[in-house]
Amino acid sequence: MNEFLTQFVIESRELVEQATEGLLVLEKSPNDAERLDSVFRAFHTLKGGAGIVDFAAMERIVHAAEEILSAARAGKRTLTTALVGDCLACLDQVVQWLDVIEQTGEFPSSAEKKKADETWLAEILERNPGTRARVATALQFIPDADCFYQGEDPLAQVTALPELLALDIQPVVAWPSLNSFDPYKCNLVLTALTAASMSEVTAHMHGHSGTCEIREINPAQTTPQDLALPSQARGVLNEQRALLSHATSANLAGFVTSAGLTAENVLRSCALPEAAAIVAQATEKSLSERSPEPLLESIAQLLLPKPAAVAETAKVSGRSEAAAQTLRIDARRVDALVRLTGELTVAKNAAGHVAKLAQEEGNALAGVLKDRQVVLERLIAELQELVLGMRVLPLRSVLQRFPRVVREMSVSLGKPLTLEIEGDDTEADKAIVEMLFEPLLHIVRNAVDHGIESPGQRAARGKPATARIRIRAARQADQVIIEISDDGGGIDVARVREVARTRGVATEEELRLTSETDVIDLVFAAGFSTAAKVTELSGRGVGLDAVRTAVERVGGRVSIESRSGDGATVRFSLPFSVMMTQVMTVEASGQMFGVPLDAIVETVSVPRTAIVGIGAAHAIVLRNRTVPVVDLAALLGLRAAMSGEADATIVVTSVAGHFGGLHVDRIGQRLEVILKPLDGLLTGMPGITGTTLLGDGRVLLVLDIGELLQ
Amino acid sequence: MTIKVSAAGNIELIGICSSDEGEVLLQHLLETPHMMVDWRGCESAHTAVIQVLMATRPRLLGPPAALLLEKWVQPALAATMDK
Repeated sequence: MNEFLTQFVIESRELVEQATEGLLVLEKSPNDAERLDSVFRAFHTLKGGAGIVDFAAMERIVHAAEEILSAARAGKRTLTTALVGDCLACLDQVVQWLDVIEQTGEFPSSAEKKKADETWLAEILERNPGTRARVATALQFIPDADCFYQGEDPLAQVTALPELLALDIQPVVAWPSLNSFDPYKCNLVLTALTAASMSEVTAHMHGHSGTCEIREINPAQTTPQDLALPSQARGVLNEQRALLSHATSANLAGFVTSAGLTAENVLRSCALPEAAAIVAQATEKSLSERSPEPLLESIAQLLLPKPAAVAETAKVSGRSEAAAQTLRIDARRVDALVRLTGELTVAKNAAGHVAKLAQEEGNALAGVLKDRQVVLERLIAELQELVLGMRVLPLRSVLQRFPRVVREMSVSLGKPLTLEIEGDDTEADKAIVEMLFEPLLHIVRNAVDHGIESPGQRAARGKPATARIRIRAARQADQVIIEISDDGGGIDVARVREVARTRGVATEEELRLTSETDVIDLVFAAGFSTAAKVTELSGRGVGLDAVRTAVERVGGRVSIESRSGDGATVRFSLPFSVMMTQVMTVEASGQMFGVPLDAIVETVSVPRTAIVGIGAAHAIVLRNRTVPVVDLAALLGLRAAMSGEADATIVVTSVAGHFGGLHVDRIGQRLEVILKPLDGLLTGMPGITGTTLLGDGRVLLVLDIGELLQ
Repeated sequence: MTIKVSAAGNIELIGICSSDEGEVLLQHLLETPHMMVDWRGCESAHTAVIQVLMATRPRLLGPPAALLLEKWVQPALAATMDK
């Protein structure tokens, strides 16, 4: 079964449980609005799940139940016991389907079809109960109609099967009237059971014409039937016991004979001839001993829950084994584990610090400490990888929502669309996957709304009428890349310039100096919206800047590439996991700060004289590029701008394509840290993205370079 | 010819009955639908012959001489004719 279906089954079971529990409470207190809401939501989610996996039958019945609940919520209907019963019956059906899906990995409809295909097997097994113990292979052979002309003798071939146990001959289609009957046309289905192995049978049947199905009969397929007594049969047997308990010496013989015979027949009809034989013996014994006891006891033995229980337990344990392979854990516990692992990383860093101190002081234990620390580092890295892996989800869980969304857009805008999704099995941290829907939806809406031309325009441009939107996801090293591309008109650069100017996103001067690529990037700027008219889909006042903000919040980037007339591609580069951040520590005015490593381009040491003033600001020229430089300490208000004779240490950073230099006192070390977002009083403090603990216990503030250099 | 009408008025299958004899058997049975088929002397019968027996359901006089026919085909024929 694919993991998608597995997930569906697991979730559906949980929802069924939740709904059942709620319904039972509602039955007692129908006015519990909160409970009603929760049950309604469970049904609603169940329906949604069924819709996603395209299981129409389940979607339909759950929808029917949801309607009842919806009416109850609206106060149009009272939730009577009968209605609760109907909803519960609906859930029972769902559970049965889920069982089928779990066992076969297929939807019940196809599973039933398969079962129908296999009825020949069940039938011949049933008709020949005596062969159960020996049968190893079953075969159904439908020779070609013209096989007689080819000199074949199918019946001889089958009767010559090694260790044949049973043979059944049936017409393929009902016999025609004798006048139109063609004796040279083979119209037979030959079904056989043999004790020979599947490979022997296959070899024997080699070279036949027609269709031949060969099935291996594993003991498991026959034993449960042997053991299990259908409930109806149990009922009949119980009645015989009751009958026997009323037996008197006068009517004993009649009662015993009749009960014994009935029991025998029941057992035979359940294909349990051995059990029937035992009952027959017991009947005789009862008759000869003039006591109902032997027969009563033999029936009681059959009714013992043991055999049925064995079958039942096997089934149940099979389920729990499957369940054990996927353990559902409260996300909070996983988060706690992530946090603890984070602390462990900090402790490891501290150990590294101690080892370094020991080395500096020439301590004899320094070497050993260093060795231990390296081992610790490796183990913690592994632990971290595993723990972070627990939070990983396939992107499918968000991408699967798009086919429906795109379909709706296509209908409402009258633009024929196809959606291609690639790489939906790409995984990313849960936090990333969960935040993706909104930004992706925004991009897709924009593409459909502004990018893709009307069918008329497409025809005029010689493009196929059906426009194509493609969402492609892939993992690239530490990054998850998601590209949304369309084959629409692309971005009108002149129009972007114009809008940017009229809306004051950029000045005329800036626009003149900006390259085409950078102009296109302006669509992500706050206050920008190119929609000439506000449509239902996009242009609701939330611009693409919201997308950029959302993506950058989790440490990702958004870029856009336009091929004029050929569409556009929006690219999300997201971190695979949000937890680990590589930082470099820098020192300014005696304080340590972290700079995210992915923002750092290089570190340079330049003569102080190389920092030149440009107006109120400073800059250096680095390989023919002017890089604005700010003094970190001064910027943070720690002290006035530095002066002195020594060389200046500059950390050159790049955020969203903008270069900037941070003038710092000293460069520290590279650390891999778990960044904690600012909370409490620090929330919203500008210029800081988060904090982490240093090896020596100090708090390291990690700088938000983009914000600082703005 | 291994299919013939006996003095007793039964259709007799004798020796090895080949595929062509399905047609012969059918003709006999079409002419005289209520004839019994005596296959006690039948040492083997082609599928085509057995098929005619299945489709026409005559009363059979057995058991057939061939063990395989007796063991497998006779019960299978009986099972379908019961229906």
